[in-house]
Amino acid sequence: MKRAAIIVLALAAAFASAATKRSVAFDPNLPVLGTKFHSLPAGTGKQQVEASCFPCHSADMLVQQRLTEKQWTAEVDKMIRWGAVMKESDKPAAVAYLVKNFGPANKFTPVRTRPAGY
Amino acid sequence: MPFDEIDRRRFLLLAAAPLLVAQKAVAPRARESMLQMNGYAVNAETPLALLTEYVTPNELFFVRSHWIPRTPNPKKWRLTIDGEVDRSGDITLSELKKLPHAEATCVLQCAGNGRGLYSPPLPGVQWRYGAVGNSRWTGVRVRDVLEHAGVKPSAKHLHVFGSDDPPGKVPPFHRSVELEKVLADGILAFAMNGEPLPVAHGAPLRLIVPGWAGDHWMKWLVRLSPQAEAQKGFYMETAYRYPLTPGAPGVAFKPEEMAPVTELFVKSNITTAPAKARAKHACEIRGFAFSGAPDIAKVEISDDDGATWQETSLDPRHDPYAWRLWSHHWTPSRSGTVRLCARATDSRGNVQPREATWNQSGYLQNSWHFVDVEVTA
Repeated sequence: MKRAAIIVLALAAAFASAATKRSVAFDPNLPVLGTKFHSLPAGTGKQQVEASCFPCHSADMLVQQRLTEKQWTAEVDKMIRWGAVMKESDKPAAVAYLVKNFGPANKFTPVRTRPAGY
Repeated sequence: MPFDEIDRRRFLLLAAAPLLVAQKAVAPRARESMLQMNGYAVNAETPLALLTEYVTPNELFFVRSHWIPRTPNPKKWRLTIDGEVDRSGDITLSELKKLPHAEATCVLQCAGNGRGLYSPPLPGVQWRYGAVGNSRWTGVRVRDVLEHAGVKPSAKHLHVFGSDDPPGKVPPFHRSVELEKVLADGILAFAMNGEPLPVAHGAPLRLIVPGWAGDHWMKWLVRLSPQAEAQKGFYMETAYRYPLTPGAPGVAFKPEEMAPVTELFVKSNITTAPAKARAKHACEIRGFAFSGAPDIAKVEISDDDGATWQETSLDPRHDPYAWRLWSHHWTPSRSGTVRLCARATDSRGNVQPREATWNQSGYLQNSWHFVDVEVTA
């Protein structure tokens, strides 16, 4: 009897543990992580930026930055060293576009998403 | 090659598989979301308000990727061990799992968590608070694997390689960890919170380095190589470095003025606080705290900009290098906008600073965390 009671208690504890496992419910209307991206605002230089940056980065990576002209120039130069394709003649327009839209005063809101499968 | 390149759709499907199983096992609780910082490569942080449990659920765990991964094919996957060992060779996952299993519940924090809070702003993913989580990692000890291979006394650093393959001329994300640290605490994890390690978190095998920043926790492991010297390359010699001596915000340190990021800094965050409260009425404030030290000694909150502090209650649940949940019944003494802040002290006596040390890559941000509460009479 005592042994049966111990078993029942152990099973109850196991079920209680399972029942208290954290449940997560994501909003099904949200996009799946990695499927919806920010878009870039219109303007001179947008085309050059998209052509050079989008092969490796979604626009999200750009629209969250808050960089000065000096910082943007350094980033663009680094990416060109790392294989980004951008004509030297396109660089001024691209940097100007990035500074104008994603300078130090820029505000960014992450995309609310759900994991795949939710 | 021991792995095949997969496209993003297959990556997402693979990532979803364990989640589908998990979803059937539990009932929905609330409408939640992850904050996508970058669509590709995928980077997402957890809203701070959801980091309220001792063990962070896999599906709420932040995701950090340098680029779109080339995830290993589990059927062909092998872990290569070479370098300063007597017996180099490959080991399969099933062979690995025959070694004694080890487990650690500990914090994983991206080195750049909080980069978006630094001023002046810095380039990179603008993480705020949620690139951190506390998980139960199961695998085998690095020590057992290297002893099996006969690691030589000449080895001082463990070079670690994932299957990541960057585009263009981007430097590979190759890292090394001091051998002494990984022999003491390192785990090669194949499970996370009791489930097979999700692809997004490094399946089939990830290096766990309790107490150290996430740049050491190599995902999609394919090779371990003990060596006499530390790894070279951009991600050791330029990135993931921290100033040896603090400088003014905005200063550009030279690489030789910095050392590699290793241990996490003591840090606490407020996860739960009311937006509105009434004076003289108690309300509950909650949060978590962690450090590169094995434990947290205390967490305090202040409602007068650090002039006085109130000690909070630490949750008894703890493992070495895990976070401590904390809570406090706070009674506002006056009406108006009250700014609360939290600071932690770790088991080595390190106290969380009011202002994190500025560094040009935005690593290890651990300033006091402030939250405003509107208090009415």
